[in-house]
Amino acid sequence: MNQLSPNLSMQPLAMDNQFRYTDEELIARFQEGDEQAYVELVNRYRDKLMTFIYHFVKDNEQAEDIVQDALLKLYTHKHYYRNIAKFSTWIYTIAGNLAKTELRKKKHHKVTSISQMGLEDRDYELPAVAPETDEVAQSEYIEKKIQAAIQNLPLHFRTVTILRDIQELSYEEISKIVDVPLGTVKSRINRARIQLQKELKDLK
Amino acid sequence: MDRYQFEDAISAYLENDLSLSERKAFESYMNENADAKNLVDSIRSTMQSIKNMPDIKTSDKFMPNLSRRIEIERNRPSKKIVERPSKTFFGFTPLYAGIMTVLVASFITVGVSLWPENGKSFDHAPAFTGNITETPNPVLSNPVTPTNNAPVLATSEIDSADTTLNKKKNFKLNDKVQFVKDQR
Repeated sequence: MNQLSPNLSMQPLAMDNQFRYTDEELIARFQEGDEQAYVELVNRYRDKLMTFIYHFVKDNEQAEDIVQDALLKLYTHKHYYRNIAKFSTWIYTIAGNLAKTELRKKKHHKVTSISQMGLEDRDYELPAVAPETDEVAQSEYIEKKIQAAIQNLPLHFRTVTILRDIQELSYEEISKIVDVPLGTVKSRINRARIQLQKELKDLK
Repeated sequence: MDRYQFEDAISAYLENDLSLSERKAFESYMNENADAKNLVDSIRSTMQSIKNMPDIKTSDKFMPNLSRRIEIERNRPSKKIVERPSKTFFGFTPLYAGIMTVLVASFITVGVSLWPENGKSFDHAPAFTGNITETPNPVLSNPVTPTNNAPVLATSEIDSADTTLNKKKNFKLNDKVQFVKDQR
């Protein structure tokens, strides 16, 4: 196996025609020892996974640690991937499971996660009123409000909503990641959207 | 279409996942109910807002940290990076294939050593193989003639017909053994 360079490049790779490779081709190359393919996969997925995990743990540093754990697992267990499922399904499943484990640990340590809090306990650090002068501030306000509304969803609703409406995965992929039937996924997404709409109708 | 059916179909409608007839029924309900139309518009708008949210970025330290952790993982002697075995035999790794082969060979050896030699049958009755044929009962067909065996029976020291013998034998035993419910 090629030795991994001490500092993985964050810049786009010098891999020829990298854009031509699908995720599945990249993981196949990585399984054969091409570590550049690993770097490309990391660059493709680190922000997506970060967004996905952040909505679980609501903490940047912790989310980043979990994403690193997931990508480290990809490195150490690359041969566990079989080309029968999409790579994205596999990596999201790993990351999701790690996030759930972290949530369980948190619960165990009596550090109540936001999803377990009562409505009165929740503090989203939202500004008291929506700033109307600054467009950037307005946009940030809306963003925080949406994040808070997503955070308010029960975990099983939240997961499917993030995967569908933020990560834009297909229903079939989501069904495999969360390991529930397709119909249940559709129903959960629909109900989650209705609930989100109720919380965010003031934004309009 | 009622309200519940309408709400259940909102996502499918927004994602063009309804059949033509379902879509017509949905739109018909929506056009008759202003609040239903508002709900659909509002959900569409919410979905768009969520979609437009920027990705949460990893920090600048992410790649150096990941690289460092990978290096630690590679150098850790107890927790080696999982490599796929180079060869498999019928899906087994060489180690497990070897163990399986030894087990199968042992099983065959033991089986052969226990197999009766020269086709001799086992001590117990052979398994039924079919073709039941009526064979005459040797006892019934050849009854013992008393004349031939009479002297042999006469020489026996114990008369089986003598019931007093059994009483004598069981006397002491009956004295010690008693049933739980026996109120003697």
